[in-house]
Amino acid sequence: MAHPAPSTFTGAADVIAVLVLLSEFAMLRAPLLRSQVRLYAFQSLVVTVLAIVVAATRHIDELYVLAAVSFVLKVVVVPRIVLRLLSRAEVSLAGSSAYGVATMTLIAIAVSIFGFFSIGALHLHSTALPSTALAISVAVVLVSFVLIILRSDVVSQAVGFFSLENGVSVASLVVASGLPLIVDVAFLFDLLVAVVVFGVLMRVHQGRTNTLSTDPLDQLKG
Amino acid sequence: MSEAGLAPPAIQALQDLTILVGAPLVSGVIAHVEGRIQGRRGPRILQPYYDLAKLFRKETIVPEDSSWVFLVGPIVAFGCYLIVPLLIPVLTTYGLPLGYMGDILGGGFVLALAGFAVSITSAESGAPYAQLGASRAMTFGALIEPTILFVVFAVAIITATDLPYALAATVRSSASEIVRPAHILAAIAFFLVVLADTGRIPVETHSGTLEFGMIDEGRVLEHSGAPYALLKWGSAMKQLILYTILIDVFVAPWGLAGDRQPGAVVLAIPALIGKACLLGCVFAVIDNSFSKLRLFKITEFLAAAFLLAALAVLVYYLGGG
Repeated sequence: MAHPAPSTFTGAADVIAVLVLLSEFAMLRAPLLRSQVRLYAFQSLVVTVLAIVVAATRHIDELYVLAAVSFVLKVVVVPRIVLRLLSRAEVSLAGSSAYGVATMTLIAIAVSIFGFFSIGALHLHSTALPSTALAISVAVVLVSFVLIILRSDVVSQAVGFFSLENGVSVASLVVASGLPLIVDVAFLFDLLVAVVVFGVLMRVHQGRTNTLSTDPLDQLKG
Repeated sequence: MSEAGLAPPAIQALQDLTILVGAPLVSGVIAHVEGRIQGRRGPRILQPYYDLAKLFRKETIVPEDSSWVFLVGPIVAFGCYLIVPLLIPVLTTYGLPLGYMGDILGGGFVLALAGFAVSITSAESGAPYAQLGASRAMTFGALIEPTILFVVFAVAIITATDLPYALAATVRSSASEIVRPAHILAAIAFFLVVLADTGRIPVETHSGTLEFGMIDEGRVLEHSGAPYALLKWGSAMKQLILYTILIDVFVAPWGLAGDRQPGAVVLAIPALIGKACLLGCVFAVIDNSFSKLRLFKITEFLAAAFLLAALAVLVYYLGGG
C-alpha cells in the first residue's frame, strides 16, 4: 500500500510538525534544566514558523498576528522568566529521572504510537494542514505527559505543561486554523497565568525543600 | 536503454572494482581533511594505499593456540565486502543481473556476516582487548539492528518493494518525494547508523590508541601482515559501501549512469568517489566538533536513531506522510 507522495507543501508542513515532536523528545532526554527551557523556546519557534507557513499558503491573515503574539510570548517571554527563576534557584540544576534515557525514549515511542493510531482511527480531514500533523500534535501532547510523569523535578513538569500547550497549538492550526483570533490569544494568555502559577510553585517548593526535585514530596511531613 | 554499450557483467565487475580501489582513497581524503581541520598538515591522500602495500609485505604472526579461524576470518569478511556492491546501486540507475540476487535485507545480512567473521577471528586470537572489542561490537551491532530494520521498513512502504534501486528511483522522481517526512527521517536515521557503524566520533574514536574506548578498532589489535591488511582494507570498503548506500539510495542518487554507454558508466565512478569524499568531509567535521560518548551513553545515541526510524514508519503508515 504505497501512498502517493504528498505535495511539497504537505511534506514541508509535516516535516515542521515532526520537528515539534522531535524537540519534545529532546526535552525528555535533556539532562540540564536550562537546555530543557531552551528546547522549549526552539519548539515554540517551530510552531510559530508553522503558523506563518499556514498563514502564507492558506491566506489566513489573522494567523500572522497569532504568530507574532506567540513568538513574543513563547519564544522570548516565557523562557526568559523560567530561566530567571532557575538562575535564582542556585540548587542542583541537573534534572532527575526515574528511568534511563533509552527506556524513557522507548516508553515515549510506545505512547506516541498509541496517539498516531487513535488519530488514524478517527479519519479526520482538514483543509489547512495534512492530517499527519494532527496525529503528530496528539503525539506531542502524549509525550509531554510522559515528560511530566517520568521526570521528577518541578522545572521539567512546568516545561512539560508549556510544551503540551505547543502541541495543542499545532492541533488547533490543523483542525481550526480559522479559529477567531480572540480565542487563540486567550489561550496564549492562559499560558501566562500558568507561568505565574508554576513560578510560584517552583519558589514555594524550593523554599520548603531546598531542592527542585519532587522526590521529597512523598515523605508526607514537612 | 540503448543497445550498444558495456556488457552488464562488465559493469557489475566495474562496481566491485570501484569500491575495491576507491575505498582507501576515500579513507585517505577523510584522514587528510581531518588533519587540516585539526591544524595539522595531515597524511598524504594516498597514504592508505602505501599502508596496505607495506602490510602485505610484512610477515604474518599467529598467536599460539589459535586455529585456522584466525586466518580465514579476514578473508571471509573481505569476500562479503566484495559481494555487497553487487546488490546496491553503485554506478547505474538500473539493476544489473546480480543486483536482484538480494534486497536491502540481503545486503544487510552479508554485511552482518562480515562483522561476525571479524568478531570470531578476534575472539580466536585469545587476546583480552580484541575479545573485548568483539563482544562490544556484537552488543552494539544488536542494538543498531532495530534501527536498520525500521529504516528498511520505511523504504519498503514508501516504494512497496525492498530493492535499493526502487528507492533511488523514487527519490529521483520528484522533489516532493524528498521533502516527505518519512524519507527525511529514514535518511537521518540511516546517517546515524552509518556514523555508528563506521566507528565515528560520538560512538568511537577511530584513530585512537586507548583500548578502553575501542569497539571496532579493538577487534583487529592481534592481527598482522596480510590478514591485517585485508581487515583494514575491508573496513575501508565497508565504510565506502555504507556511504554509497546513503548517497545513492537516500540522499543524492544523481550522477549515476542511466544507460550502458561506456562514457556514462566511467563518468559515474568519479561522481561517486567525489560524493563519498564530500560526505566523508561531513563526517570529519562531526568528528572534530563533538566528543566521544561514554560507552554506556551509546545506547542513548542508538535510541535517538531508533526514534527517527520508528517515526519515519509511523508518519508514513498512519498519516501518508
